[in-house]
Amino acid sequence: MTLSVAGTVRRGEFLLDIALEAAPGEVLAVLGPNGAGKSTLLRLVAGLLALDSGRVQLSGALLDDGAAGVFVAPQERRLGVVFQDHRLFPHLRVLDNVAFGPRSRGVSKAAARDAAREWLERLGLTGLAGRYPRQLSGGQAQRVALARALACRPAALLLDEPLAALDVQTRAEVQGELREHLGAFAGPTVLVTHDPIEALLLARRIVVLEAGRVVQSGSPAEITSRPLTPYVARLVGMNLYVGDAVGDVVTVEGGGTMVAADAPTGHVLTAVRPSAITMHTSPPHGSSARNVWAASITSLAPLGDRIRVSTAGQLDATVDVTAAAVAELELAPGRQVWLSAKATDVSAYPAP
Amino acid sequence: MTAASARARRSGGLGTPALVVPPALIGIIFLLLPTLAMIVRIPWSGLGRIYRDEHVWTALRLSLESSLEATAASVVFGVPLAWVLARVRVWGMGIIRAIVTIPLVLPPVIGGVALFDAFGRNGTLGDPIHSVLGQDLPFSFPGIVVAETFVAMPFLVVTVEGAFRIADRGVEEAAATLGASRSRIFIRVTLPLVLPAVLLGSVLCWARALGEFGATLLFGGNVQGVTQTLPTLVLTVFQHNPADAPALALPLMVVALVVIGALRDKWMRPVAS
Repeated sequence: MTLSVAGTVRRGEFLLDIALEAAPGEVLAVLGPNGAGKSTLLRLVAGLLALDSGRVQLSGALLDDGAAGVFVAPQERRLGVVFQDHRLFPHLRVLDNVAFGPRSRGVSKAAARDAAREWLERLGLTGLAGRYPRQLSGGQAQRVALARALACRPAALLLDEPLAALDVQTRAEVQGELREHLGAFAGPTVLVTHDPIEALLLARRIVVLEAGRVVQSGSPAEITSRPLTPYVARLVGMNLYVGDAVGDVVTVEGGGTMVAADAPTGHVLTAVRPSAITMHTSPPHGSSARNVWAASITSLAPLGDRIRVSTAGQLDATVDVTAAAVAELELAPGRQVWLSAKATDVSAYPAP
Repeated sequence: MTAASARARRSGGLGTPALVVPPALIGIIFLLLPTLAMIVRIPWSGLGRIYRDEHVWTALRLSLESSLEATAASVVFGVPLAWVLARVRVWGMGIIRAIVTIPLVLPPVIGGVALFDAFGRNGTLGDPIHSVLGQDLPFSFPGIVVAETFVAMPFLVVTVEGAFRIADRGVEEAAATLGASRSRIFIRVTLPLVLPAVLLGSVLCWARALGEFGATLLFGGNVQGVTQTLPTLVLTVFQHNPADAPALALPLMVVALVVIGALRDKWMRPVAS
């Protein structure tokens, strides 16, 4: 039951050109900024939009193939779709919302309601069966939407930012449950999101989409340690520099150098964690760090129990420091500082 | 605390602007005055005599029957038409939308003439109608239903079309992914979403049909017991006993007030999902 999409669709100025595949039981996250084409991709798979060229396939069966003149209507695709804004039917009680799918596929009213009760119970929602969607909290509505999608016994699941509309507390709860239910789902799942945390927690494989194209794909560990574009680097909170390596010295485009242990020769990307950079208020003498450069602070922002400091210099960098350090070193925008990083904390890898 | 500050306190600074009050007052008085003027002229002592006339009751019954039938016909044909106007995108839809509004802008008397040309004995469809019904449409009860439907249906179509336009397409898409056929989506999802607009449109349509006069008079005539509705009866009475005419307005006013009063808060809000 592998789900695969390969093709293009044009929407005005925007071109989505994509190739991806999700295996049975796999959760594939499609991560990208707003306007990257994530929702368009989901609509293509769901059958709410047709490809201009290429094909959509589910377990070998063609769902959409412009060249062969095949287009399977969304009704016939047997995909479970959970939308960001849940899209429950406002005039139907929760039970009938969940029973709607089986009913639409010809199951008798009584049997459809039995199936709906079973799914509500499995997702721990039995108490909500008699409510209308307007009487549900955001988290409850999203859970019901998942039950409604699963009640159709779909061959694959499509989730469109299922947690985006929830508040932080609810989000954590639903996230845990969602992880569990997706783990129990036998078919492929495609999860579309702009939230890297959501992708990291729920997916085993991530595809990063930018401006309609896949710019990186891999395991969460690969994505976080070796971001391939500035967007991905920003998402996972890494400093990223493009340059050319000779020996272990990387000459960064736009000026400056970085020493990176184990740098491959040639065009490379160089990544440094904000927490691996040390900040000094005078030139560090006697430091063992092989990378030292001057910079000035442009802004400070809180990040958990740390302060994320943005700096501009020959190499722009974000640096994480403790709140105590901010006070002790009297860090403030405009302040001149020196930054250092060990060569072993700088990773360099071939640029795509 | 002054009265002004008490008001400001209640409204949080967003109370009624003074600018709107005088015109609103003039407007309401203007709308109410004719009704009041008529009510005070009702010959209360003569009510018994006027309402013992069985023609009044027959006309009232014909009015209610014909207007309800016209409303039913408008719903059956008008709601699907509204959907088409709101959702189908083909060249020329603007023209079709304009056609729908013709009866709204056409003086009803002209509408009656137009109905003659289309459905009268020598009209475009006169022969087929005669062979199906075994009679002519003009000056018959079905004739006044046709006249009322012609004049009233656009009120329903325009109201419901707007609702179809703003109805949430997202839940329709969700229904499609759940396997619902297009017809099932229309009946089980879209129609319930626009139900308030259908009810509001039906009330407007029915009110228009109930009060319909010009097209009904021309196309249906004013035949006692057959095509004489309360509005056309008022014309007859006004010609012979003008003093009795206000009394005949009573049943229509009562019906209107009861319906509007019952539906106003529940259904006649601005249509929203």
